[in-house]
Amino acid sequence: MRRGAWLATLTLGGLIGWATTGLFPRPPLPPWEAVTSQWGARNAVAAVVLGARLYDTLLEVLVFSMALVGVRWALRPLPQTEGRPPVAESPLLERAADVLLPAIGVFGVYLAASGHLGPGGGFPAGAILGSGLLLLALARGIRALARELPQPLLSRLEYGGLAALIVLGGGSLTLGWRGAWLLVLANLLILAKVSTGAWVVLEHFAAHRGEV
Amino acid sequence: MTTLVLSLLALGLALFALRQRRLLWGVVGVGAHSLALAGVYLSLAAPDVALAEAAIGFGLVTFVYLLALRRAGRLVVAATPTYPLLYQEGERVAGLEWEILKKLAQRLHRDLEVLWVPREEIPRLLAAEEADLAAGGFLPAQSETLPLSRPLVPTRLVEVRVRPGPLGAVAGDRAADALPRGGRRFEDEEALLAALARGGLGGALVDLLRFRDWHLRGKLPEVELSQFPEELSFHFAVAPGEEEAILPALEELLDEMERSGALEDLLRRYLG
Repeated sequence: MRRGAWLATLTLGGLIGWATTGLFPRPPLPPWEAVTSQWGARNAVAAVVLGARLYDTLLEVLVFSMALVGVRWALRPLPQTEGRPPVAESPLLERAADVLLPAIGVFGVYLAASGHLGPGGGFPAGAILGSGLLLLALARGIRALARELPQPLLSRLEYGGLAALIVLGGGSLTLGWRGAWLLVLANLLILAKVSTGAWVVLEHFAAHRGEV
Repeated sequence: MTTLVLSLLALGLALFALRQRRLLWGVVGVGAHSLALAGVYLSLAAPDVALAEAAIGFGLVTFVYLLALRRAGRLVVAATPTYPLLYQEGERVAGLEWEILKKLAQRLHRDLEVLWVPREEIPRLLAAEEADLAAGGFLPAQSETLPLSRPLVPTRLVEVRVRPGPLGAVAGDRAADALPRGGRRFEDEEALLAALARGGLGGALVDLLRFRDWHLRGKLPEVELSQFPEELSFHFAVAPGEEEAILPALEELLDEMERSGALEDLLRRYLG
């Protein structure tokens, strides 16, 4: 196991060394002004993040996925804590959650879907949707919420979103797919990934480290 | 100009968050700091970054802290009101133990909360971790094996005789252990005193401190007293699940208060 880990580390180090010496074919990065014009994006940032610098974004999503794998893997050996009663919450919070949640959901999806036209994008939208879920968890108790949310759909969203994003990125990088539709789709997929990821982290910590 | 003002505001809010003794105010400060920072980004013509900062720094992070604070940020004390140790004075809580608990809560960065419960309920609340500490003249009964702090105030049990008849005691208390056959158990002190006043009860088993309180309040005019020889003392009891988190801090605090003479001052002030 340990030898394997060393081998993997050395291989990775070798790969990085190889890449930095210039032998590894790095994708050419054209100036961003020229690129944004091909994307039909009014928000230059979206065109840069999801177009001209797509590699950065894809790797960011991969790093996020790795963090989720880490949370799952590291918390699995801990016993599930059971039987701690949820903290009683004031009715004010429950009513606020009922009233605010639809607005938070709509705003999150709107930010992701309109990320190519103005400020927004999948990452902040995902964080907003994740906070909405947290608000609901505060109001209802996280166990009750976990029972209500369909787990298979969540994992399908999470992994399916990642796979679709890689396909989309691959198509854009190799086949030259361009256009606003791609930005919208990528932002929505990132939204799905980030918001389900936030929920997974919360749920795992709650299940293994105590009810919140 | 706007940028400068917002930057200074962000800096000020960060300092505010750092200087709070109450964790809740600290979390509020951090959230406000994030919001001011988002304003800085917005004024620097970076709305995307501002949005991310507001969503993550202000929204998500604040929520996560609040979730954590809900469980960890409170120090819940289950107690029965006991006059000079822990009692209610109108809306306020006061007493010798309250002074110590306030210092402890400050040291642990938690908000103090008192649950007034009948004596019998205390062990269950501590075991279920619905309360972290037991106080209010806590005399451990023989069957209770809770982690205890050092002895706070020495006391003894006394038998208070008003007339011939059965004895009564508060259920769950140490005094209830010592009840002879035919003794009656009451939910709390008030129920016991009411039964004594009605005359259905010959006397009570109680500790010296509560007896002194009854006497001072003029509840028992003429009584015959006999002391039990066993020396007891009041303690704080800690929930078994919180033993490692609370007991060392409590002992350290009591140590320091003993050395500086603060504990002695408190004892003199509250017990005379």
